[in-house]
Amino acid sequence: MNVHFLLIPVFLPLVLGAVSYFIPFRAPGHRNAYVMAALLVSAAAVWVAALTVPETTLPILQFTDQLSFSLRLDGAGRLFSCLSATLWPLTALYAFDYMKHEQHHAMFYCFFTMSFGTTMGIAMAENILTMYLFYEMLTVTTIPLVMHGMTKVHNRAARKYMIYSFGGAAFAFAAVVFLILNGAGSFVPGGHLSDVDDRSLAQVLYLFAFLGFGVKAAVFPFHGWLPNASVAPTPVTALLHAVAVVKAGAFALIRMTYYAYGTAFLSGTWVQYAVMAIAAATILYGSVSALRQKHFKRRLAYSTVSNLSYIAFAVTLMTPAGLLAAFCHLVFHSVIKICAFFAAGAVMHYSDREYVPQLEGLGRKMPVTFGLFAISALGLTGIPPFCGFFSKWYISTAALETGNGLAIAGVAVLLVSAFLTACYMLAPVIKAFFPRAGADNDLTGVKEANWRMLVPMAVCAAACVLLGLFAHVPVNLFREVLSL
Amino acid sequence: MTALVMLCVFLPMLAAVPAFFMGKKHLLRDGFSILVTLTVLVAAVALAMGQTEGATAPLLTMTFARSGFQAVYAVVAAFMWFCAALLSPQYFKGHHHLGRYHAFFLLTLGATMGVFLSADLITTFIFFEIMSFASYTWVVQEQDPEAMSAGKTYLTIAVLGGMVLLMGLFLLYDVTGTLVVADLSAAVAAAGKSPKLYIAAFCMLVGFGAKAGLFPLHIWLPRAHPVAPAPASALLSGVLTKTGVFGMLLITANILVEDHVWGYALLVLGAITMVLGAVIAVFSTNLKRTLACSSLSQIGFITVGVSMIALLGEENALAANGTVLYMLNHSLVKLVLFLCAGAIYAGAHTLDINRLRGYGRGKPAIAVPFFLGACSLAGIPGMAGYLSKTLVHESLVEYAHHAGTFITAIEWLFLLSGGLTAAYMLKLFITIFVEKPTADTPVAHHKLSPLSAAALILAAVALPVLGVLPHRLAEKLSHVMLPFVGGHESHHAVHYFAFVNLKGVLISLGIGVAVYLMVIRRLLTKQQRDRRIHYNPLEGRFSLEENVYKPLFRGAVWGLGAVCSLFDRVTDAAIKAGLFLLTVVCRLFNDLTDLLVLAANKTVFRPAKDPHEPHERRYAYALGRLYGRATKQDANRFGEVFVRVAETIAKTTRRLSGNFSFALLMTCFGICVILLIILFAGTK
Repeated sequence: MNVHFLLIPVFLPLVLGAVSYFIPFRAPGHRNAYVMAALLVSAAAVWVAALTVPETTLPILQFTDQLSFSLRLDGAGRLFSCLSATLWPLTALYAFDYMKHEQHHAMFYCFFTMSFGTTMGIAMAENILTMYLFYEMLTVTTIPLVMHGMTKVHNRAARKYMIYSFGGAAFAFAAVVFLILNGAGSFVPGGHLSDVDDRSLAQVLYLFAFLGFGVKAAVFPFHGWLPNASVAPTPVTALLHAVAVVKAGAFALIRMTYYAYGTAFLSGTWVQYAVMAIAAATILYGSVSALRQKHFKRRLAYSTVSNLSYIAFAVTLMTPAGLLAAFCHLVFHSVIKICAFFAAGAVMHYSDREYVPQLEGLGRKMPVTFGLFAISALGLTGIPPFCGFFSKWYISTAALETGNGLAIAGVAVLLVSAFLTACYMLAPVIKAFFPRAGADNDLTGVKEANWRMLVPMAVCAAACVLLGLFAHVPVNLFREVLSL
Repeated sequence: MTALVMLCVFLPMLAAVPAFFMGKKHLLRDGFSILVTLTVLVAAVALAMGQTEGATAPLLTMTFARSGFQAVYAVVAAFMWFCAALLSPQYFKGHHHLGRYHAFFLLTLGATMGVFLSADLITTFIFFEIMSFASYTWVVQEQDPEAMSAGKTYLTIAVLGGMVLLMGLFLLYDVTGTLVVADLSAAVAAAGKSPKLYIAAFCMLVGFGAKAGLFPLHIWLPRAHPVAPAPASALLSGVLTKTGVFGMLLITANILVEDHVWGYALLVLGAITMVLGAVIAVFSTNLKRTLACSSLSQIGFITVGVSMIALLGEENALAANGTVLYMLNHSLVKLVLFLCAGAIYAGAHTLDINRLRGYGRGKPAIAVPFFLGACSLAGIPGMAGYLSKTLVHESLVEYAHHAGTFITAIEWLFLLSGGLTAAYMLKLFITIFVEKPTADTPVAHHKLSPLSAAALILAAVALPVLGVLPHRLAEKLSHVMLPFVGGHESHHAVHYFAFVNLKGVLISLGIGVAVYLMVIRRLLTKQQRDRRIHYNPLEGRFSLEENVYKPLFRGAVWGLGAVCSLFDRVTDAAIKAGLFLLTVVCRLFNDLTDLLVLAANKTVFRPAKDPHEPHERRYAYALGRLYGRATKQDANRFGEVFVRVAETIAKTTRRLSGNFSFALLMTCFGICVILLIILFAGTK
């Protein structure tokens, strides 16, 4: 396939999404059909691109000698784009059911579709400038989704999201400029940073970039927007705040570390220890905070904070094994967490319950929802044979391989966090399936979720099981695609 | 081989799915469970009889092996599951959530088989975790507050143990580069003993010890076993704890071989568990709780045996034989006793031994198996328990020759605990089966069903069979199991029934009878109305869990939480303060020019006061008068008019000249003049 094909997955959703706002649909069903068709075509385009487009650069705009806006699909990009492309239509299916009682459909689906395009842009960016542009665009296209409820709480959450995201990007900007000045070029494995005179400046700027791009990856102390953003409609929380947006942050970290700066340049320096410590602290912080949340979705949001830092921790190991582990967790956590959020959303939608203590006995009324949630809970805790176990396994072995004292401490943190994960994830399951005898919880009116909610959940849960049972298949695939 | 392993491990796991949906159909469901467990039992026996050694599952690259110990324990597990399945129909009559129970019953069987048959530690770990989680449903089966609370403890310890075990595996893999059991000892020898290796081994000990019920992670055991349904308690106590011991044996035989630090650690922990369990069991007045505490104590005995394998090194034949026989014996005994407890509970619906007084009289189908089990547990000669206890005791005596008084003290604790074992079993047996029933004692509604009776007899008959002819059967069995536990060959035959060996048991039994008569019957009973009842003075006094672990955990979570929320607030405040400061600075710069102008207005360009005012007025007045006279009009009026005009002019001038704009104007004017001059000067 010609390299120009890359334009389709990036710009088609942007155009189709923007157009959808202005089409006067007669019935909600028509809009749903349109959105689904748009997403399916775009997702198919992504898959075709991932499978057939060669790894060559497609220059679109040449600003100066050093600044260009161009696309290219390399191994890491292929993985990230395929992951998002698979989950987006599923989430749309879920959203059709979930959004029935919500307002402003035109705006929601417009930006929902557009943010798919911007995410693809991040995945397919050829150089740091292009990635930076799409990164900012992603923020812009997702703000309306966070603000969707239009109440004071929603506005405040969106404002916080905006301040953090833009602020973070601005923070990273210095590093972007520095990288462009020092041997600007496309992302290459091992980094394109050529000889630098002032190494300490480069290191400080890497720290800036890590924290800046880390805002989207919810790295402590810039995680604050994520739990607040869980006021958004559940499809948004599930897809954007567990997969697309936050993983775009993690992906940016991977790009910065492995493809721009290069691990050889950073490994063993103080800055590696600094970012590793930050990641480890976030892991613990997220888990402890999740344990303290009574609100179901906020609990999951804090759990995301913790799990994103698993990825960040793997990234900071700065070894090929670390990169592999980071991608494993990036993919596995996506399917697990999206399933968990879907279940939480289904519970909110069909039983009007938002807090964990209210879930007592719900398992009888919603057995499939909670059964699937149980799978995701076990997966997230890292109980074999679910896939979460294997990503933790790869992270831990990669960490121990480095022989670095801090990395070994990080493994201990990982396991403490796994224990806490079990505490906060299993509590809803136990409450739902094993209610205390005599617990009075009025369950009238609660019914099992609609198939349009269950199918996406079931697909993700099945993926959680199958990716675990045949863990060597995806892992070998990652290894091959990333050419490690 | 592969097919048999698959049958043992994955058949029950798959069968769990249809079992789940058979919940309502009693006959079908019970029959299905019995059929599946029987199939697994046959497969396990075939596997044990077979010759080939290894297998690999297509999933997860799991590997399986079939050494003597593993095969024997696979058979034992399958057998126990089969017996438990036989008892289930009667026990569960009228219970709820049976589909769930049967599904997880079978799932746990598959996972347990997986643990015992695994050839590498990853496989062990995977099945270990599945087993832990699946068996959680057993604990909470009744869903009453007590069960839920016990379940919470069970799950917490299981997860905690699992995670620490995983950490141990990570570290071990880091040191040795392999987790295949067969390659471990060579890899450890090559890598040498490093602190990391010890940390790895002790992390694994936490995981396996938690499952076995070793002090100080035993807290779940006395709570979970009594609340689970009896068939499940039998398995929890008889098999699941053995997976923990299996792990400890694995470390002893392959990782820290003949290591003294390891051996002494196990010895101390084992001895504490042994004494602690026995003491609580003596106090307990609940049938299943006594049995659970007894399990704790017996695990302590077994751990002491394991420690002797490690400490005795080349001469560990006695210890190794004793340990594996002890495990076998304890599995079977607990199967028998818990099934009896189940049969009693199915009829009487209570476990309080004061209410069960005399309940067992005239029920030989329960009394005989219970008696055999109690005898074997107490180590009466002729039973399997006697052989194992004697062997472990002899190994202690042997090591005491080398190591001195500390081991002798342990030996005495060993005998004392054996005595307490006899005492609490006497207490149970006499209260339930010998004493006369009272008015409180419930009357059994239905007789023991043939299936249940078959289960009890099947389970009980093995004990004397193993015990009577030690050289024919028991020794052969233990011999097969030796290589796995790292045992060496014995150099001389053991004379089990020689006085030297009988002496220990006699001392124990003596202590037991004395404790029963002096302590249990006197100190641990109190008068209530017309009779003496047993009571437990320790009830609700001190519990490690309530008084130590929970506050610690809560404190840790609270403390971490406080730190986290502090950070939250600090970050929020920092961001807000930062924005505020930035705004202030920006405003400052925004208004800076204006401020400068204002300041200039007030200082440098302040309007000057006119010092000549009175003079001007006088002159103006005089001028006015002059003008009036000259024009022959009212001179005074013109004087005032002139003064007013002069004042207006003076005011305007002041305004003009005292103004910044005027100054600027003047500056501009000056600049223009200068420019003009330069221009003209330049042109000339």
